[in-house]
Amino acid sequence: MSQNAEKVLDHFTLFRSPEYVNMFENKKAFENAVPVAELQKAVDWTKTPEYRELNFAREALVVNPAKACQPLGAVFAALGFEGTLPFVHGSQGCVAYYRSHFSRHFKEPTSCVSSSMTEDAAVFGGLNNMIDGLANAYNLYKPKMIAVSTTCMAEVIGDDLNAFIKTAKEKGSVPQAFDVPFTHTPAFVGSHVTGYDNTMRSILEHFWDGKAGTEAPLARVPGGSINFIGGFDGYSIGNMREVKRLFGLMGIDYTILGDNSDVWDTPTDGQFRMYDGGTTLASTAAAVHAKATISMQEFCTPKTLAYIEKKGQEVVAFNHPMGVAGTDRFLMEVARLSGHAIPEEIVRERGRLVDAIADSSAHIHGKRFALYGDPDLTLGLAGFLLELGAEPVHILASNGTPEWGERVQALLDSSPFGKGCHAYPGRDLWHMRSLLFTEPVDFLIGNTYGKFLERDTHTPLIRIGFPIFDRHHHHRYPLWGYQGAMNTLVKILDKIFDVTDADTNIPGKTDYSFDIIR
Amino acid sequence: MDLTPDEVRARNSEVISEALSVYPEKTAKKRAKHLNVYEGDKPDCGVKSNIKSVPGVMTIRGCAYAGSKGVVWGPIKDMIHISHGPVGCGQYSWAARRNYYIGVTGVDTFVTMQFTSDFQEKDIVFGGDKKLDKILDEIQTLFPLNHGITIQSECPIGLIGDDIEAVAKKKSKEYDGKTIVPVRCEGFRGVSQSLGHHIANDAVRDWVFEKGADKVAPFESTPYDVAIIGDYNIGGDAWSSRILLEEMGLRVIAQWSGDGSLAELENTPKAKLNILHCYRSMNYISRYMEEKFGIPWVEYNFFGPSKVAESLRTIASHFDDRIKEGAERVIAKYQPLMDAVIAKYKPRLEGKKVMLYVGGLRPRHVIGAYEDLGMEVIGTGYEFGHNDDYQRTTHYVKDGTLIYDDVTGYEFEKFVDRLQPDLVGSGIKEKYVFQKMGVPFRQMHSWDYSGPYHGYDGFAIFARDMDMAINNPVWGLTKAPWNAGR
Amino acid sequence: MTGLRQIAFYGKGGIGKSTTSQNTLAALAEMGQKILIVGCDPKADSTRLILHAKAQDTILSLAASAGSVEDLELEDVMKIGYRDIRCVESGGPEPGVGCAGRGVITSINFLEEEGAYEGADYVSYDVLGDVVCGGFAMPIRENKAQEIYIVMSGEMMAMYAANNISKGILKYANSGGVRLGGLVCNERQTDKEYELAESLAKKLNSRLIHFVPRDNVVQHAELRRMTVLEYAPDSKQADEYRTLAAKIHENVGKGTIPTPITMDELEDLLMEHGIMKAVDESIVGKSAAECAVA
Repeated sequence: MSQNAEKVLDHFTLFRSPEYVNMFENKKAFENAVPVAELQKAVDWTKTPEYRELNFAREALVVNPAKACQPLGAVFAALGFEGTLPFVHGSQGCVAYYRSHFSRHFKEPTSCVSSSMTEDAAVFGGLNNMIDGLANAYNLYKPKMIAVSTTCMAEVIGDDLNAFIKTAKEKGSVPQAFDVPFTHTPAFVGSHVTGYDNTMRSILEHFWDGKAGTEAPLARVPGGSINFIGGFDGYSIGNMREVKRLFGLMGIDYTILGDNSDVWDTPTDGQFRMYDGGTTLASTAAAVHAKATISMQEFCTPKTLAYIEKKGQEVVAFNHPMGVAGTDRFLMEVARLSGHAIPEEIVRERGRLVDAIADSSAHIHGKRFALYGDPDLTLGLAGFLLELGAEPVHILASNGTPEWGERVQALLDSSPFGKGCHAYPGRDLWHMRSLLFTEPVDFLIGNTYGKFLERDTHTPLIRIGFPIFDRHHHHRYPLWGYQGAMNTLVKILDKIFDVTDADTNIPGKTDYSFDIIR
Repeated sequence: MDLTPDEVRARNSEVISEALSVYPEKTAKKRAKHLNVYEGDKPDCGVKSNIKSVPGVMTIRGCAYAGSKGVVWGPIKDMIHISHGPVGCGQYSWAARRNYYIGVTGVDTFVTMQFTSDFQEKDIVFGGDKKLDKILDEIQTLFPLNHGITIQSECPIGLIGDDIEAVAKKKSKEYDGKTIVPVRCEGFRGVSQSLGHHIANDAVRDWVFEKGADKVAPFESTPYDVAIIGDYNIGGDAWSSRILLEEMGLRVIAQWSGDGSLAELENTPKAKLNILHCYRSMNYISRYMEEKFGIPWVEYNFFGPSKVAESLRTIASHFDDRIKEGAERVIAKYQPLMDAVIAKYKPRLEGKKVMLYVGGLRPRHVIGAYEDLGMEVIGTGYEFGHNDDYQRTTHYVKDGTLIYDDVTGYEFEKFVDRLQPDLVGSGIKEKYVFQKMGVPFRQMHSWDYSGPYHGYDGFAIFARDMDMAINNPVWGLTKAPWNAGR
Repeated sequence: MTGLRQIAFYGKGGIGKSTTSQNTLAALAEMGQKILIVGCDPKADSTRLILHAKAQDTILSLAASAGSVEDLELEDVMKIGYRDIRCVESGGPEPGVGCAGRGVITSINFLEEEGAYEGADYVSYDVLGDVVCGGFAMPIRENKAQEIYIVMSGEMMAMYAANNISKGILKYANSGGVRLGGLVCNERQTDKEYELAESLAKKLNSRLIHFVPRDNVVQHAELRRMTVLEYAPDSKQADEYRTLAAKIHENVGKGTIPTPITMDELEDLLMEHGIMKAVDESIVGKSAAECAVA
């Protein structure tokens, strides 16, 4: 018996005690386990170029993709608005999944309801679920707005949200004037970034185009303010706050469209806040009058931006700008659009970042990286790595389009450090595994699922992306702005130094390089 | 400060009425049937269960797919489980349930991987059977050591009428009778995870037992062969259970399904006794094996020393004296450890009140473990229980306990706010709500990334975890000192 | 987009819906209207007479081979036929697999996003026999077809289908703007067909827009994959379609919210016109042999 009341053993160590190890060994007799030699042969085979070729020949099977489905993005976008309850029309299990997924990442509650459609609704349509669901959600949770999206179930049977919501309002589920923007978000089209785009557009359309035909569309009176859209972003808490700080320093008149930095970062003070912060409904409507709209993630907002542009605004899209040049471009556009100069304080921040890069670049220069994630994030990160003199050798986005691939390639071609580096649109992490075995790199950048690649290929993982389940609170720190670049730089450096130390610590063998100054 | 039992009952009834008062009338009427104050002499908890969730109320429930892929099939380690349909379902359930296993992932075992057919619009419109056919080929090419494949249907599969059974049969034939199991666990079926468990059990029956009946187990039977049924090895639960069974002289020939393998499923008809932990999710296959193979089954409870000892004796009662003595030996062996754990933690936890809301067996099974630590469960409910669960619950709960079936986010918050427990045990979606309210919380699905909680080894961890939740100094910091009076 | 009229033809399968719609639209084109036809039947036969083609490449089949609809351009799917009528076919799976209804949703979303309707005076949806699921109701959702024309005949099943389609329209008429434009009776030469069609139209709170007589020239034209308008422009039948087209053109804004009737009312209607005898309840469900014994 290894367990001990004084020093309680967790699963980490408990199962390493001899009685358990012995038990595992004996269990194999009942498992039809693969003989050790055969297993080892197969393990080695999966590391070969031959295996890679078979792996890349896959046409149908997807293994460990780095993308989720549309409604997840819908819920993300909806939660950025004041007092808004996301309502997903379709099967209820989906909503349980979205809520868990976000809560595991942000370590925060995530409120969202489902219309709980079951087999009968699959046959007869989900109108009654909409009628009852809106009434219940409205009475129970007292939202200011309910933003409706759909699961694939409702999409396959072809439920008509517009008609259903109108009928529900006629039946008194919610007051006629209550805001219920809606959008169709089929899970079998695009990914979570598509769902973000659809939802953002639907909410703007709702307020700007006369609330589904119940009011006159707003007439745009061009003003001087600037709209800002962050896109689907696992760091939205830190990033939004950083952007607000920068805009504050620059004296910008702005509206953040979809600001979930409060609802996913409420205090523990004895009170549960189901809603907190968010873009007010009034400023969402007023945002039509803005001079311009900035999107930080172009691939996350194509339809939204096209819609806004049609309204007469200038739209400017970035690809998750990171680092010195990325932030420069972002701030210069903000300055141009607003006519406000970039203040000295921000210039100093820039200088400090450049200073830090100069101090540390010797440790990053020439290091080879593999990275994966959403299309804009990977573009932004790759740009920063090139700026640091690192080589982003494998760049993969499961939800990246061929167009994304071309954009990455163009970026790589623009730098001597991009030579021999490649983009992999539409591929998954099992493809990445083959890449890491056959064309090894020094570091991997990705979300939590990257730890499986780290385990198999021993490529050290730097966690940047969504979701991050197994490290806490990093979403509170920005990646954007010079400050965000500083955070990212430190994150990368810490891993490099940790790995170097771990690689030079065998007494009498390698520890001559176990330097105290690096 | 402590209320009398009558006062508790009155307060709990009042809390229920308050919660219901906010609902529209039709919904209030429906929800009223799921809420009750337990009356000590009744044979069940007085609530309706296994009924459709009301739309729009923020039910905590999942779906049939979650019940099949996430619970029953997913942990079978040497099979590949395809999440068949769009990418999301498999993504959100990817490696999230902590079903521990031993194996080389991606080569001979596959539990913490996400295999999906990643349906696109064209697959919906034209049907996905051809794609599935190709996927099975690609799996065979890239993962040749897999021992079987299951096809876990997501919502669209049933709606567009794909014939996954035909594909499974055809490919099984192509691959020399390989076990390929189509599972009709579309998320819109049934009212919760529960139907998914049932469907998954039926799929084992139809596609493992009925198809592979000629497969011979590769070992000699003994009179002491048992199978662990309904333990998903969360944080190693099945292991800290198995070790006790083996120590008392039994031989475990199969684990269903945590750290389990296809061979173990196939071995099970040779068991002399099936011992069933999660009744809810695996009673179906236990009943089938009883009928078909004549294997008796017995329920047990491995939470907390009292229930562990009681269960070891119950299990032993199905065997000869050798095993009965073995059970006593095991109980005696661990008694000092248990005494030490209780001596250490009971003084810190005595009298603390707990509210639970979980799935499967836990809303009742863990109550004994809390009581071993001197704690009291004052409210409990099931996410997807049936009437037989609520009947079984009466053996555990006290008169006046607040019972809530398929609780809504609104109700649960209200109940906790009014009952002011010292600890809430529920899931990830609830955790942060209550922590914000200043209420200590433990996730009782995933063991909050700790565990195991089963068996004697597990109880030490359980006790330590409850202590660290309740006696966390952070709960004294929730109010700024200048606002402390408020 | 102002002035764009969106109409849809529905009707029981085999009623001659595609033939009627294409001839009518050809006549509208003759009147100088710019037409876009959106075929919403997986059989993809809504444009063959205009294009002189067996079957057109459909949006869904092209999307499937290209990867997804996002990979398609409008030019890939749009064909130009008789009198510059633009034609697209949604297409869909073979019978018995997949989800044709979803295909309709996909296709219409694609066309709207690609701006296919720009420059058209008329968009006409030609839809599968019955509104069997939400997908086939897509063309009658808000901001889609404003007027539905039901092609029917004096046959019991065709009238039954017309009534059912009216139910579908009613459902959407309350929340959206869709209206029943009227019935088009395609003569089958059943008893008292015209009167029946008129009566049914009245019961449905609609009107019989036109009664299209039967004429073999339709068949002759069809064998050549042509509309009558093109094959025999001087024929009497061509004029019938011209009349129908003119009536539809003038029918703008005159659609009504239908009042579907019950099965009993439908049977009463048939009895009223002497088509059906009062049902003797004792014979219901009995075979000929059984009746003979009795």
